Amino acid sequence: MQTSRRGFLKGSALAMFGLGTAPMWLSRAAFATEEPGRRKKILVAIFQRGAVDGLNVVVPHGEPRYYELRPSLAIPRPNGEPDAAVDLDGFFGLHPSLASLKPLYDSRHLAIVDAVGSPDPTRSHFDAQDYMESGTPGFKGQADGWMNRALVKESVPLSPLRAVSMGTNLPRSLRGRNDAISIANLNDFQVKDLNSSGTFESMYAGTVDTVLHGTGRETFDAIKIMQSIQKQSYTPANGAKYPNGKFGQSMQQIARLIKAGVGLEVAFADIGGWDTHVNEAGQLSNNLKQFGESLAAFYQDLGERMDDVTLVTMSEFGRTAKENGDRGTDHGHANVMLVMGGDVRGGKIYGEWPGLQTEQLYEGRDLNLTTDFRDVLSELVSHHLGNRNLNAVFPGYAKPKFRNLIA
Amino acid sequence: MKPLEQVLAPGQIQILRTGTSTQKQQLLGTIPAAQVDDLVLALPGNLRQQIFPIAPTDFRRKIMMLRAPQQVVVFDLLEAKMLRAVYSNRQLAEELDDFWFNHFNVYHDKGADRFLIPSFEREAIQPRVLGRFRDLLEATAKSPAMLFYLDNFESVRPDIDAKSSTKKVKRGLNENYARELMELHTLGVNGGYTQKDVVEVARCFTGWTIEQPRKGGGFFFNEKVHDKGQKVVLGHVIPAGGGMEDGEKVLDILASHPSTAKFISRELAQRFVADNPPPALVDRMAQTFLTKKGDIREVLRTMLASKEFWSEGAYRAKVKTPFEMVVSAARALGANVDNAFALANKVGELGEPLYRKQEPTGYSNLNAEWVNSAALLARMNFALALAQNKIPGVTVDTAKFGQGGAAEIAQSLLLRDVTPQTRATIENALKEQQAKTPGPAPALVAGLVLGSPDFQKR
Repeated sequence: MQTSRRGFLKGSALAMFGLGTAPMWLSRAAFATEEPGRRKKILVAIFQRGAVDGLNVVVPHGEPRYYELRPSLAIPRPNGEPDAAVDLDGFFGLHPSLASLKPLYDSRHLAIVDAVGSPDPTRSHFDAQDYMESGTPGFKGQADGWMNRALVKESVPLSPLRAVSMGTNLPRSLRGRNDAISIANLNDFQVKDLNSSGTFESMYAGTVDTVLHGTGRETFDAIKIMQSIQKQSYTPANGAKYPNGKFGQSMQQIARLIKAGVGLEVAFADIGGWDTHVNEAGQLSNNLKQFGESLAAFYQDLGERMDDVTLVTMSEFGRTAKENGDRGTDHGHANVMLVMGGDVRGGKIYGEWPGLQTEQLYEGRDLNLTTDFRDVLSELVSHHLGNRNLNAVFPGYAKPKFRNLIA
Repeated sequence: MKPLEQVLAPGQIQILRTGTSTQKQQLLGTIPAAQVDDLVLALPGNLRQQIFPIAPTDFRRKIMMLRAPQQVVVFDLLEAKMLRAVYSNRQLAEELDDFWFNHFNVYHDKGADRFLIPSFEREAIQPRVLGRFRDLLEATAKSPAMLFYLDNFESVRPDIDAKSSTKKVKRGLNENYARELMELHTLGVNGGYTQKDVVEVARCFTGWTIEQPRKGGGFFFNEKVHDKGQKVVLGHVIPAGGGMEDGEKVLDILASHPSTAKFISRELAQRFVADNPPPALVDRMAQTFLTKKGDIREVLRTMLASKEFWSEGAYRAKVKTPFEMVVSAARALGANVDNAFALANKVGELGEPLYRKQEPTGYSNLNAEWVNSAALLARMNFALALAQNKIPGVTVDTAKFGQGGAAEIAQSLLLRDVTPQTRATIENALKEQQAKTPGPAPALVAGLVLGSPDFQKR
């Protein structure tokens, strides 16, 4: 580990930037990274917008009822054929388009939580996403997002890149009191005209308005870090190959920020296209392929750095257990979450399987919930990020049930 | 579908492929209306994208209708808002339209609100921005956009059995609207209501629904699902046996409540005066609100005529919203806006996607909502792009500043003296530029002024 940490610092943006001129928080962050065991823990959250069909992501192939409910959509039992489920534990299997994640599961760095989600009964994408991102199902008045509240409170100056979302909007999850920035593209994060960049920096340094002054300083600090990142061409490590497309790009950029050692603590990315009411099979397969290969590339690219990173996926609700008349599925209830990282107790499926018989289904139609999504997130916030103040992160959810996901 | 070669002559195709923006614009202006459909369908995707921002408005609209018809409504909505804001002489009305829409926020991407928002803004908000608060409140309460957004359209009396309807699972009472009505629209979160009041108010509004909600129908009171029992709202008894008037009585109670007077006054003062407006000012505005029975015009008169409005701590204390920043920059430069959609997109890039605030809270009225790294950077880049004519479909003429120096250009864009720090920095930049290329550089100066801290303040 010593060797690799030195290697990391030597090749990182910090080294390029030079500590002599670094702002105070940055030198602090750099020193922190040199101390064994003091590197920042990083949490990455992925939102699958549109409600992914969890029953076809992690397939309960040992459940005969699954095949009765989905005559045209069910994924065949594992049989070695390319369209069949990839077996995990004799009962569950991965969608074949997620085969790229099987090695992570086998190496115990990928855990699956099944029958998990929000207890709120809504089947509105809008409300369900809102509740999941605010972290307060059923309560709309929460102004900020769970991930912003998850940031550990510190009094020392913090990196302007501690909370980053990939995309042009700051998602609900990251909004709130702590600074968080959205980045559409790392290479674009700059004043377009380099001469004017210096002029703007002087103007904002000179303004007496404290808010504009402070944010101006943070911005130009961030730009400087970005510039040093931008100068280096980026080649994913360990032969990792991110798929083309927006999500693959997002994952690659998050990996790039992590490896640059710029003080990142939480990162967010989303991927849409899961609302498969009609002709689900092809659309889901294509989307899962992109999704799975992006996560696998991220894992491979980060290599040892994955020790400090935990990634979690979520989607606002699941889909109906029974397929509809259009070879698709409609809005349902419980779903599946993936948790991946160096300190994750992977190679295991968590959560009780509620069954698919009509009387076992939620409102007679959807997979029932046996784990609240806040149980999963609470554990990651507390045991991975080290923020024990869970009452503030998930207000009104006093006693989360930890699943023992984190080693 | 005809191939491109049959719609345009080879020379014309050449212009679309390799011509300048001006040449392309001229060519598009000469296409007969009857040919526009054929051309839009025949254009390959990359060419279509290239000409989209510079095409004449009707042409652009046609591209939308043929290629992304579900986006046409929001496209029109955005263009209209930007054009009114840039060109209208009734600037206060546009500011208040923005304020009240945000106060009664609805979200464009929630299902039917995609097509319900235009009538909400045009018929519920705009006619009443300077009217009586009670009227504005009722107009929003009965608007399909709000009924859909906050789910009241599916709220029914609690005793309707969940299994009585086979097709859709009814959920009985839905408290969303009732809660937000008090928390966000009238009393404020500390305005003195309880969870019990939320339930009682929700019961009063059962049956306030939409006729054919997913087909754009209007307001409709469904007596069959209305809760006819007695309710008690904030201590007022609403007797059993009522109908639609139960909800209207709630609006009466809320609109005349002292907490509402205070909450609305404070919101207005936070938006237009300062993040922490002087309590004495808010009190006087609230007093006007109560004595003038919620007359918004009178409340604003109290605010604008106050000594606090012009006081040291309040004067220029507010950071412009992204919408105000983009509009004021276009107005300051006298921009010619052919493509208002491009400007609306910029507002989104600066952090305020219009009609797309997901939460019922609307955007915060506080400066902190807008001042963050990515947004500030986007402001600087927008300023440079606008001054250098790099926003397709929006043209400015900075040559009109002639030989003007930094101070004069800044004065004419800011309508006040520039701060000495900003002025000195711009003069340095100008000197450096002139050392390389002698002569005036008004586009450079204008871009720097618009991106300066001075211009970000209202």
